Amino acid sequence: MPHPVHQLTLSRRRLLRTSAGGLLGLGLLGAAPGLLFSPTALASDAWQRLDAAQQVIGDATPESNGLSLDLPHVSEDGSAVALTVGVEADLDDDYVESIHLFASGNPNPEIAVFHLTPLAGKPEVSTRVRLNETQQVVAVARSAEGRVWATSREVRITVSGCLMRGDDVQESLSNPRVSVPDSFSAGRPGEFRTLITHPMETGLREGDDGETLPRHIIERFTVSVDGDTAFEAELHQSVSANPYLRFHLAPQASGEAVFEWHDDTGDSARETRELNVS
Amino acid sequence: MSVNSKPFQSRLGVSRRQVLKGLGAASSLPLIGGFAAPAFATGSDGRVVVIGGGFGGATAAKYLKRANPNLSVTLVEPARTFYTCPFSNLFLGGLREMSKIAHGYDELRDRYGVEVVHTMAQDIDPDGHSVSLANGDTLHYDKLVLSPGIDIRWNALEGYDEAAAELAPHAWKAGPQTELLKRQIEDMDDGGTFVLVAPENPFRCPPGPYERASMVAHYLAQHKPSSKVLILDAKDNFSKQGLFTGGWEQLYGDSIEWVGLSGDGRVTRVDAENLEVETEFGTVHRADVLNVVPPQKAGWIAERAGVTDASGWVPVKPESFESQQVADIYVVGDASVAAPMPKSGFCANAQAKVAAAAIVAALRGDSTPEPYWSNTCYSLIGPEYGISVAGVYRIQDGVIAEVEGSGGLSPSDASAEIRQMEAEYAVGWYNAICQDTWGTEA
Repeated sequence: MPHPVHQLTLSRRRLLRTSAGGLLGLGLLGAAPGLLFSPTALASDAWQRLDAAQQVIGDATPESNGLSLDLPHVSEDGSAVALTVGVEADLDDDYVESIHLFASGNPNPEIAVFHLTPLAGKPEVSTRVRLNETQQVVAVARSAEGRVWATSREVRITVSGCLMRGDDVQESLSNPRVSVPDSFSAGRPGEFRTLITHPMETGLREGDDGETLPRHIIERFTVSVDGDTAFEAELHQSVSANPYLRFHLAPQASGEAVFEWHDDTGDSARETRELNVS
Repeated sequence: MSVNSKPFQSRLGVSRRQVLKGLGAASSLPLIGGFAAPAFATGSDGRVVVIGGGFGGATAAKYLKRANPNLSVTLVEPARTFYTCPFSNLFLGGLREMSKIAHGYDELRDRYGVEVVHTMAQDIDPDGHSVSLANGDTLHYDKLVLSPGIDIRWNALEGYDEAAAELAPHAWKAGPQTELLKRQIEDMDDGGTFVLVAPENPFRCPPGPYERASMVAHYLAQHKPSSKVLILDAKDNFSKQGLFTGGWEQLYGDSIEWVGLSGDGRVTRVDAENLEVETEFGTVHRADVLNVVPPQKAGWIAERAGVTDASGWVPVKPESFESQQVADIYVVGDASVAAPMPKSGFCANAQAKVAAAAIVAALRGDSTPEPYWSNTCYSLIGPEYGISVAGVYRIQDGVIAEVEGSGGLSPSDASAEIRQMEAEYAVGWYNAICQDTWGTEA
């Protein structure tokens, strides 16, 4: 009579060792999920305790109202946690110039920086991020006239026993996907979505042979409309594989939008769409 | 849906038994000891109302009375017959009749002295400690257990409302929806496409959509062999993924196709009239049978009780499953936030025992016993092809955590014999957990 239990255990260990999940890639292995960040830490403090965020904030005293950061309280899959960040403050002629995201508990806290322009219309961006443990996610936003906002959210990461998974081989920079509105009213923001296949290899993970897999990520994503940069994103290792971005643009006139992804090997992908402004 | 759990069969090997011996879920609680003959309720030791007669509620009612027959325990459940989600996929696959996933409440009433009221709970007054019922009665409680399961978040997925569910069933609550979906599959022409829309986390029964795809593929392979199954998923990773995809390839060749989030699998609009769905990046898929597993939330009575948070689910204290927001209301099963425990029937059963033990202790003025839980999710890929994932959980630093080194997945390279054994264990699990929950055999 075989002993399936023994094999079950082995099999799981094997799976954990070789899994491509961002969690393990970020060095989680061996640590029990949910324990690495004190649940008593004050959410409002997280950006103050994070050097990377402090560098963006500088001497400014950030506003806490007006910047929203939307993440699930509990995520059962830390390899892709949905995140939306947006500035809701009244801006008049000012506009949001940059939004910075940090994962305070990841080996490299930078997640991404979004550079917005007056074309953004609505300063709100969604993406999917890797969180290797329960931690505070921090957002900082800056306006062109020097206003600064900061906020943070705690996310509890659990890896459900029903959600263990296996490897998946992906070809870099394939299948670029872009969704743009069918038409715009001049100056009114429309929703853009992009998705592209890329492993976003962290450089922290071992492959099957025990060797560290080299870092291989998309570093920059840009959107231009008729040659003018409209939206730009700097991406780091904490952005999930197959980067997804949702953002807004409010073009004043019809034109051609060019979407470009650049990775750290010098490769790139490009898509274009006609924007119809009525 | 998938089968979630395994009581502790002797055919399992030594190491699992050891794990269970040390950590035995709620089974280490004193409740499981000898059966006490029913000294029918005097209610002198307290009044407990349980809402919901599924795995969580029925287990809670039974184990409350087992632990203290002097409690007055009233179970409120509108249905006289409860159809389990576990094994309802087997009905879709033609492996099991609906009557074999049906359970009643006679045993709870006659053997354990639970008062069973077949009506809807309409509202809860947490301050007044009372529940108002659709039949006009009001029940007063010292402790209230909610096991309301899930409700569908209608229109959270554009176009998917109650009317749409009559054309494109969810069948994520077993019963008429399951039978409707089965009829549609039977009426489909050979060569048709069965499209299953799978949601993002969290949702009831993480392996359920993939077991369903397997069981539908099994039926189609026998009766309509030119047909296809297409899964459109809002996730890139799913429960037991490698085991499912390996099994699909082995049993069904390329007739099951899975499209994940990164492949534009996330459906953002449903057109139930035309059996069409549209994905986030504009691909339109036409189905011959459309099965939408939609976004979910805790059963609506939990909202009435004020125990849900912004996520739509119920945060609970892990040691007792008492609501974090409202005193004396305990919430077990799919409605609760218990991750990393999955939303499964086994977990609901185990959580109900913990809540029952905590309630019995609290009413006696004792401290809450320290709980452990275990869970197994079995899934059938074919009639003789079973897979499982198991986990053991305890409280660490104030939250539920999986015990390191516990549980595990079926091996990816198992022999046909092991797959067949696991399919048999699944049946053994189902029979045992239903016996434990309702005292009934299907």
